[in-house]
Amino acid sequence: MASNEPDQLTPVAPPATKSRARRRNLLVIAALGVCVVALLAQGLLGSLNYFKTVDEALAERTTIGTKEIRLEGVVKPHSISRTASGASFTLTGSQGQVFVISHGTPPQLFQANIPVVVVGHFKTVSSDAFSGTQIMVKHSSTYIAKHPKRVKAPNGSIR
Amino acid sequence: MMTELSRRALGPLSLLLLALTFWLGYFVTPPDQVQGDLVRLLYIHPAMAWVALYVSFGTATVASAMYLWPRTRSDALDRIAHSAMEVSVFFIALTLITGSIWGRPTWGVWWAWDARLTSTAILGVFALGYLALRRANDDREVRARRSAVFAILTAINVPIIHFSVIWWKTLHQGASVFTSNRTLKVHGSMAFTLLLSFVAFTLTFFWFLRIRYRIEVARDHQSHRKLVSSIEQRRNEVPAS
Repeated sequence: MASNEPDQLTPVAPPATKSRARRRNLLVIAALGVCVVALLAQGLLGSLNYFKTVDEALAERTTIGTKEIRLEGVVKPHSISRTASGASFTLTGSQGQVFVISHGTPPQLFQANIPVVVVGHFKTVSSDAFSGTQIMVKHSSTYIAKHPKRVKAPNGSIR
Repeated sequence: MMTELSRRALGPLSLLLLALTFWLGYFVTPPDQVQGDLVRLLYIHPAMAWVALYVSFGTATVASAMYLWPRTRSDALDRIAHSAMEVSVFFIALTLITGSIWGRPTWGVWWAWDARLTSTAILGVFALGYLALRRANDDREVRARRSAVFAILTAINVPIIHFSVIWWKTLHQGASVFTSNRTLKVHGSMAFTLLLSFVAFTLTFFWFLRIRYRIEVARDHQSHRKLVSSIEQRRNEVPAS
């Protein structure tokens, strides 16, 4: 009769492989936790605001000095000139403007009248000239179909 | 009968709408004034992000909350939450990949540590964490409860992702569809194709969810059968008195 007792059907200890698997899974969770912290530190805490606008940068000119920043503004029409090492152009804000000399190939969508973010620094503590190492095109959220057959009217409007 | 028919039609209908979206997106719609043909990624990336963040992560969160609520608690809700989270991982990965492919020629970089991109990557890690957490415990009820709490806690990141482009200055552009003044910032046939892509990818999510849910049910049945047969085997091993 003793053989029918329920305790004979109950495992006395969990298999070793189970606890190893659990440890491994907990390690994976801990590693993912580290990933989250690293992402927060790298991305959100370091740059909640990804860039400074031209107006902000000019207002904070003395505190920025020659520190590396990301500068955002609209490329002024007719200001782009290609140089041997990249391009130079003027970035405009709503009030001020900054002359940028950028090194490296600009992205394929780089053109006048579009907002861009330039990574770089002001050349000297007092200068308003900005030396850029990278240009990023900040695309707007508006999408307009291209109509190659449209022509410009004499008054400049698009028909 | 109708329900079974609509379930069976879900897959073919999803594929049909996806095919229609790709045809319109790649052959019919015009290029964009600034982006040219790069705009064609618009017909997959925002829809994938919509499914990843709102539809699948949202489904997992709602199912988790309903599981924790004693009146609605059921194994089916736990399975739905698990299945939706797996599909969410897939779509979050696709969102990041397609965004990166679009970002390189448009922005000039594959990746930017701005608030939108970083918080989306964090959501991906959270979703992976959810799946890892489920594997860390064999007790069905404990596993379901812990993962449900985890899903609800991490869902706080979804509104952060949504509003990141409004709250902070980001390289990622603002909303084109879910704008604050309800105006669509996309023109003509481009807008129609974009909205069609949202429908197509949402249906695809429900199709994937259904398949994944059925796999989960089959796995549960198999595990139950294994348990029954192990007990039976153990009983047979016990010598008869």
